[in-house]
Amino acid sequence: MTRPAYRPFSFFGGKGGTGKTTCAAARALALSEEGIKTLVVSTDPAHSLADAFDLSIGEEIGQIAPNLWAIEIDAETEAQKYMKGIQEKMLHIVSPVIVDEIKRQIEIAYSSPGAEEAAIFDKFIELMEQLNSPYEAIVFDTAPTGHTLRLLTLPEILGAWLDHLLEKRARAVELMSMVAKYDREVRQKLESDPITDILGKRKAKFETARRILTDPALCAFYFVLNAEKLPILETERAVRLLTKYGIPIGGILVNRVIPEGAGDFLEKHRLAQQGYLRQIRETFAGLPVTEIPFLETDIRGINELDKITGLLKNL
Amino acid sequence: MELPEKGNEAEKEQSVLESLKEWVSGMLFGSFVEIGTQAIRKEAFDINDNLMLLLFGDFLGIPNPISYYTLELLPYVAEELVPWERRMQNRKTIVAEKAGQYDFG
Repeated sequence: MTRPAYRPFSFFGGKGGTGKTTCAAARALALSEEGIKTLVVSTDPAHSLADAFDLSIGEEIGQIAPNLWAIEIDAETEAQKYMKGIQEKMLHIVSPVIVDEIKRQIEIAYSSPGAEEAAIFDKFIELMEQLNSPYEAIVFDTAPTGHTLRLLTLPEILGAWLDHLLEKRARAVELMSMVAKYDREVRQKLESDPITDILGKRKAKFETARRILTDPALCAFYFVLNAEKLPILETERAVRLLTKYGIPIGGILVNRVIPEGAGDFLEKHRLAQQGYLRQIRETFAGLPVTEIPFLETDIRGINELDKITGLLKNL
Repeated sequence: MELPEKGNEAEKEQSVLESLKEWVSGMLFGSFVEIGTQAIRKEAFDINDNLMLLLFGDFLGIPNPISYYTLELLPYVAEELVPWERRMQNRKTIVAEKAGQYDFG
């Protein structure tokens, strides 16, 4: 069997309820059927991936079909794991009096906006680093548009931020070691500065993510939308934003396209959709547009998913 | 009456000279070298305080886009954190602080 050309990382974005999880599931299934070891990742707390496959999928990677693995990431659990790790580390380093104070700070940060987003992003990087051991392709079903976009633009913003912080820390350390010229203990402490170390590692991680996310040979972002007016405008904006950040766009998937001969009741709706489809093709002229038909029943389970895998095989 | 021993006198003189020398060098160190290091130390503290503000500003109510990621630094700065928070909250004005640094008022 000759394997089709594919990009190892694909992301399916779009508004909630447009069927991006179904598309991600079908795409992953299509790849696995080509003999590519594929991992499909969902961040939806509503377990829609489990629904699409009609299987139970856990927070640990599990195999659900030949060449196909799946995982549902729970942002809250991930964030909690991270906080616990920090707390444990703290117990070894800090005096017990301060620990309580710090625990309070961790609570504050835990409820701060962006914590869950950051936790998911961390998990994404962790998974992406596992490429080829053994997964040859990873398909992400990402959360709704705005959220996803911020997630993907994080590295760029944070990179600049971290540069600034590292610079400041280096200057402070330099000054402190000038003063501590005759204080060996302080000097040694400064030589292996954990703050510089951690900030540096964080920066390297973001750079890896950024490198992958902006490489058209490695990654592609797909927008799933229905043939309606508002999603077109929103997707247009999202495409512009991703392009600005250099994130390659693989194409547009128009889901739930009513086929011809669906009956009188749907005919008017179908004609309206055809109008929007033309508009979509005009708006996204440079991008491949794939139409996925509206099926008689909801897509649930591998057999049903197989009805649309053919369409998603050569994205 | 016996005259005090000459040697003793010389010794006394010597020790007075010694302490004078020490005092002078101490004064020189204090008025030049120490002031220099003091300024550098102050500068280092200032930069570090600013860094802490960038890292943990959300503790003082300033939103921080990456507060989640700075948490992992906590174990290493925890000891500094409490005094830093106090310093930040007691800060009056930047001008007053700078003036204090140069002995203006």
